[in-house]
Amino acid sequence: MTQPVINLSRRNFLGATGVLVLGTTLRPAFSSTQTNSFNPNLFVTVHPDNRVEIVSHRSEMGQGIRTAIAQIVADEMDADWNDVSVTQALGDARYGDQNTDGSKSIRINLDRLREAGASARQMLMQAAAAKWDVGIDTLTTEEGQVVHLSEKKRVTYGELSSNAATLVPPKNVQLKNRKDFKFIGKAVPHVDASLISEGQGKFGADIRLPNMVVAVVKRPPALGQQATSVNVPEAVKNDSRFVRVEQLDPTPGAPLFFPVGGVAVVASDTYSAMQFSQMIDIEWSTSDNQSFDSRSFQQDLRSMVESDLPTVHQSGDVDAVFNSSEKVIEHTYETAFLSHAPMEPPVALADVSAEGVKVFAPVQDPQNTQLQIVGWLKVPVESVQVNVTLLGGAFGRKSKPDFVLEAVELSKRLSRPVRVQWSRENDLQYDYFHAPSAQLYKASLNQNGLPSAWLQRAAYPSITSTFAPQAKSPADWELDMGFTKTPYLFENQRMEADGLVAGVRIGWLRSVCNIFQAFGANVFVDELAHEAKVDPIDYRLAMWPEKGLITGPAMPTPPGHEFKIERLRNVLNRARKISNWDTGKAEGRNLGVAVHHSFYSYVATVIEVGSGSESSQVKNAWMVMDCGTYINEDTCRAQMEGAVIFALSLAQMSEISIKNGIVEQDNFDSYRLIRMNQPPNIFVDLVESTEAPAGVGEPGVPPVAPALTNAIFAATGVRHRKLPMSMS
Amino acid sequence: MAKNLMINGESIDVSDQPEQMPLLWFIRDHLHLTGTKYGCGKALCGACTVLVEGTPTRSCQLPLSVAEGRDITTIEGLVDVNQVIREVWVEQNVAQCGYCQSGQIVAATALLQSNPNPSEQEIESALVGNLCRCGTYSRIKAAIQTAAQRIQQSATEELEGE
Ligand code: FES
Ligand code: FES
Repeated sequence: MTQPVINLSRRNFLGATGVLVLGTTLRPAFSSTQTNSFNPNLFVTVHPDNRVEIVSHRSEMGQGIRTAIAQIVADEMDADWNDVSVTQALGDARYGDQNTDGSKSIRINLDRLREAGASARQMLMQAAAAKWDVGIDTLTTEEGQVVHLSEKKRVTYGELSSNAATLVPPKNVQLKNRKDFKFIGKAVPHVDASLISEGQGKFGADIRLPNMVVAVVKRPPALGQQATSVNVPEAVKNDSRFVRVEQLDPTPGAPLFFPVGGVAVVASDTYSAMQFSQMIDIEWSTSDNQSFDSRSFQQDLRSMVESDLPTVHQSGDVDAVFNSSEKVIEHTYETAFLSHAPMEPPVALADVSAEGVKVFAPVQDPQNTQLQIVGWLKVPVESVQVNVTLLGGAFGRKSKPDFVLEAVELSKRLSRPVRVQWSRENDLQYDYFHAPSAQLYKASLNQNGLPSAWLQRAAYPSITSTFAPQAKSPADWELDMGFTKTPYLFENQRMEADGLVAGVRIGWLRSVCNIFQAFGANVFVDELAHEAKVDPIDYRLAMWPEKGLITGPAMPTPPGHEFKIERLRNVLNRARKISNWDTGKAEGRNLGVAVHHSFYSYVATVIEVGSGSESSQVKNAWMVMDCGTYINEDTCRAQMEGAVIFALSLAQMSEISIKNGIVEQDNFDSYRLIRMNQPPNIFVDLVESTEAPAGVGEPGVPPVAPALTNAIFAATGVRHRKLPMSMS
Repeated sequence: MAKNLMINGESIDVSDQPEQMPLLWFIRDHLHLTGTKYGCGKALCGACTVLVEGTPTRSCQLPLSVAEGRDITTIEGLVDVNQVIREVWVEQNVAQCGYCQSGQIVAATALLQSNPNPSEQEIESALVGNLCRCGTYSRIKAAIQTAAQRIQQSATEELEGE
């Protein structure tokens, strides 16, 4: 089996600089269903009845992108918000990048979306100018109308739509001044909120097609195992709800986005498919992955960082300084495998027929999904239609469309629509897991208590193993997430890193390597500050210049997204202020702090825990974020709140462990997540900024876990150097 | 043998369904009421919460044979009952991905019906079984408190108006 040539490594997503060249003046090949509608570009359609349809080409998974895109386009258009509706785009190369991942939707789309809105507005004004036979400079717009200032005439966008449709889109458009923004930057409620509150939001499993059946796949206990015999009991065979079993073989080589194989049990409804899948007997071949054990893997990672690893950056002479120093401090930090566990497990509906391929699925990247299907079935790209439903959470899991390929393959074999429904057990056991890690930090302190030499080592399996079999070492872009791109830079410094190949699939999870790399760095700095008897905020501020760009061994950044130390200092200072850090400390409140730069945003976190027996209870969390220009104020706050909960889960309780190649957790009793009775009060402070827009969905996660363990240390003197704190 | 259920006020014949089929899959696959979600199948997440005789119940663990003869309300059947709650939910932008929210809203509706003025702790214990991976807990709590106030306010206003 060959796969389409793709290059979707994280490096690519993160290295992408700026806006794609897909012109906003491009006329879409699809024609609007309503004649007389005005459809100047890919993102906007104005209908004669005044409805303004705005296309979201990015997937909605709770981060509010459908609303944010509408806010941007509607703002530049001067649309009436009540007329705006959002249509979800199919996977289609004409939209440019649709990979909703890496907290980059706004960063790479803000300008072109503004242009799309502004160009629509300009054409509507042109149409009005022609209609009234006046100069365009005598006109303005207001909530879905073109207004002639002196003659007090008005005409709605809908009335202008058929005339505007005959015009050529302008080459240059005038964008609004920031001060005139009506929707951008405001707390607009989400466009799907009302439907969701009625239970009417359409997620992956909510779509039906005539004649469809449901498949549940029994996947191999360890990766690489293949069914050698399948026994279907008579009771199943004779049941009228049983359709058939189909064997799916694992695809050799790197996991890529391919299914892991197994035996699909197909039935007329979900319950029956689940029931039957438990009744069939399967014998499996053996696989090398059956010897994979996460506990010994963790030990191996730890032993790796205890001796020299390949150097990725070096300055000065670390060893000489260590040898001549009186005070050298060294600690090791470890984190576990994690699963994404979106509340909606993977699910996909596919209909492969002579007419082509139709898919309905909660995917983060409909274009890659489309390409994967093209490669899998060897069909032309035009024949593959990928419809994106709402995503019931994703966190990176649903950018891997292995579950869609399962549905496509089964639909092809059965010649009818098939929905593949993953159980929670499937979701937790066949994830692309977040990598476990070990890190060693070592520093000598000078007379002022500041580091005079610094060594940092990291070992973890690499996400590149998704793309190349046996790929072992962390890639530059993985290290760039808080290891090589770091504000902790010193004259004498060495950074070393290496990895190991795991016996399970490795993937990116909300904030990726930042999770453990921010943890190691922020806890170690806290340890040094304690050693130096300096307040941990003062300690960081003393290490850093007042102003300037942080580069060091970090990868190049897109223009406007340089790492500026003054912005990092600012969020830290603001966190100090809003948490009443200084008085709190003086009064004996148990506060911990961490600060991190990721996805080009800056976030500082202060956590407060209780005292004594309540030291593991998180009372308060303060989050300060500088993400540059933001689109929806309330979404930013919500993402910070969600990030706190997400990170507290991984800090306190979530852990995937693997024995004999089999994941030991299979539901929410063993893979534990924060519940309603556990969250702290969360206070969010957003920095108003005119800087380029940066990430929002992910950057809140990294500083939370280290702030928590630093707070627990303040409360108890006990240092947690492993995550989750309950690590087995 | 399971025969009839009342779902959202309608009597539904289930006699040709397997008795052990959980209510969740019946209402999703056979009634096509998809507001009730599958999240774990083991009564561990609350995504499938419906009201059985007014009590929040995990439909993934409720076989049709046990549901028989009971009065069941799904999120779709609550729209005429929980306007205030839904209104606050939208205003305060509670939902992120929204997947857990049917279960949260069903649980919240039942809570406010049985306890019009719940304390923070009462809210927590009523909804502790409803997971939200997006982490909307503090907004859920705040929304329930606001809705409680609003419902009480309009009740007092009605009384005063009489
Ligand atoms: S699906 Fe029923 S509680 Fe999770
Ligand atoms: S809103 Fe996404 S799981 Fe609760």
